[in-house]
This record gives sequence, structure tokens and C-alpha cells, in this order.
Amino acid sequence: MAIEVRIPTILRSHTGGAKAVQASGDTLATLIDDLDSQHSGIKGRLVTDEGALHRFVNVYVNDEDVRFTGALDTAVKDGDSVTILPAVAGG
Amino acid sequence: MARFDSLVDSLGGTPLVGLPRLSPSPEVRLWAKLEDRNPTGSIKDRAALYMVEAAEQSGRLVPGATLLEPTSGNTGISLAMVARQRGYRLICVMPENTSVERRQLLEMYGARIVSSPAAGGSNQAVAMAKALVAQNPELVMLYQYGNEANARAHYEGTGPEILADLPTITHFVAGLGTTGTLMGAGRYLREKVPSIQIVAAEPRYGELVYGLRNIDEGFVPELYDEAVLSTRFSVGPREALRRTRELVESEGIFAGISTGAILHAALGIADKAVAAGTAADIALIVCDGGWKYLSTGAYAGTLEEAEAALEGQLWA
Repeated sequence: MAIEVRIPTILRSHTGGAKAVQASGDTLATLIDDLDSQHSGIKGRLVTDEGALHRFVNVYVNDEDVRFTGALDTAVKDGDSVTILPAVAGG
Repeated sequence: MARFDSLVDSLGGTPLVGLPRLSPSPEVRLWAKLEDRNPTGSIKDRAALYMVEAAEQSGRLVPGATLLEPTSGNTGISLAMVARQRGYRLICVMPENTSVERRQLLEMYGARIVSSPAAGGSNQAVAMAKALVAQNPELVMLYQYGNEANARAHYEGTGPEILADLPTITHFVAGLGTTGTLMGAGRYLREKVPSIQIVAAEPRYGELVYGLRNIDEGFVPELYDEAVLSTRFSVGPREALRRTRELVESEGIFAGISTGAILHAALGIADKAVAAGTAADIALIVCDGGWKYLSTGAYAGTLEEAEAALEGQLWA
């Protein structure tokens, strides 16, 4: 069971500097729980106390924004790619 | 109509052209709205003119005023042209990692550039602009990220133009920056075609652009309303470059790199429609031409070389 999770620069303090780590889970929520068990504190950076994704964090499963696919309930499976990015301005 | 009183009067009314070679089947078709056919060569002309006219009408913008705007380039170029025509001065706060062409064009139109650090990306340009306006209240910041006239330009212009040319539209795909195009045209199209899918393509830059700041200092444009979108894709430089090249090779359209990202999302939608056996008319935005990005190396050498050259640059 392995899903690659790409970690943005500002969160690499939790992953010992690793740009990408492996985690497992059936949904994004359980994946983040598994990520947090390996890299303590990372969940608190991604998910609010109320259990929603942080406003300035964007998470993509296979490049699609999870806010349009069920947010933390988005299903994930082996071979998927998860990317975490901070929200930035364009234009 | 081909005769206009002045350059800004020729804004909009851009052509919608089919992409017969890139469309996967006669039932699933792609259509490109050529926004490079605007006065300064980008879709941002629409927002710039609307924002200036709204500020003039409200009395916020008076003769001799100085505008200040955070911009990674195109909005600045559009504002600079409008400002010069109407006698306003313009200061652009722009990240230093934007292409040299954009800077030269701005200077040619008489704008002043204040550079923000590359490592802070556009977020820092926005923060710097807000700080400068707070210190110098005489400056007028139209603020493209939160100005309703930006979205209205597309609600009244881009959206109706597309629907008039493509009444059978099933999907609208555009880039997500200020979110003005998607919010304005997206809202209009949803009202008229309730079943339509509104798809955002968001550029995914190299790591440098995302900076090292705390995640609490992220930025979501005030104009953004998630409810307008059906879905949102993140497109990296490799795919954006590949599609930008395919567009010029197979359809003859020489576009900027953000258009490649939009085309990538549109082709993904088209593949899904083919797999599902449904018909689709997919309209996508060509934001600008490729001219302003030649110096980035995007069009020369192999894809790998071009991708390496784009690392750390704001390419959309």
C-alpha cells in the first residue's frame, strides 16, 4: 500500500527535508492520519481543528483539486499521486 | 465590424476557432477563444478597461491620478496601455522572476516597475502593493484580485461572446489566476446553460515560486467563489509546455504557456467524454500569444531543456 505524497518546501520540516514521502489510506483523511503517524505534526498544518482543509492549503489527487472530489473524503488508491501546495496568487 | 474610434474600442469580440486536429472525434470538439486578439495581446485587456472605467465612474480615479497594481505582467501591460491613453500614471509591483519582455513592454508604455522578491512569488507582490497603498493613500489600487469589474468584464463580454458563437457548449475551460475569467464567464454560462461544466486549470510552478512563508500567509483572491467551478486541475510546466507546442504544431496557434496548461485540462476532459461516449463542445481560452515568453526558452530545444529553463519563473 503506497501512495506518493509531494510535500511543499514549507512543510518539509516535518518530513526531514524529504520532497516526497509514501503513505497509505483509502481516503484522503486516512492518508493524512497515516502521514501524521510517520511525520508528527503535519496533520495540524493541513487540517483545521474543525476537521476541514486549511483555507490556504490546496491538495490534489492526480492533479485534481480535492475540494471538488469530496475533500477529505476523496478516495485514494495505490499508484495515485497526492500533491500538497500552498495557495498562491496569479494574474 | 472592423473600424473603431480608438484602440480600446476594439476590445473583445475575439474569434472562436475550432481545433479540428486536436479534437479527438467529430462528436467531441475543442474550440479556442483567441484572446491574444485584444489591444495589447491578452485577455487582461478586458479586466483592465472595465476596472478603469468603473473607478472613473465612481470618482475614485480622477485626472492625473497614479495607479498602483500588483501583477505578474499581463494585467500591468493592459493597465499601462489604458492609463497612457487616459493620462494616468502606473506603478506595477511585479515579482522579479517574470520575463524580460513583460518588463520592456511595461516600460515602453510608461509604467514604473517596483520589483518584489522572486522567492515571495505573487503573494509578496500583493502584500507589497497593499503596504505601499497604505503608506501612500493618494495611489489608486484597482486590485484585480478583488475588483468586481474584473469578473464583470467576463460576465458581460467573454461569456456572452462564447455562448453566441457556441450555443451547444458543454464545457468551459480557463486559467485560474485572479479568477476573474472563470468567475465572470463561468457565472454567465451557468445561468444560461445549467448543465455546463466550468473547469479551472491552475499553473503549478517550480518550488521557488511557492516560497518559504508560513502556510497561514497563503492567498486566495477575494473574487474566488468555489461554487462557480465544477472542478479544478493543477498543471505543471512539463504538460503546459508540451501542449503549448502541440497547439502551434497541429493548429498553428502560437500561444503563451498558460494556454498550454488550459489545453492540457481541456484535452483531459475531451478524453473522458470520448470514454463515456458522450458528445462535447469544449470552449477554452487562449490567454495570450507566445511572444512575451520567447526569452524564457519555452519554445526552444527539447521539452526537458524548456522545463529546466522555466524552473523558478512565473510562466503564467
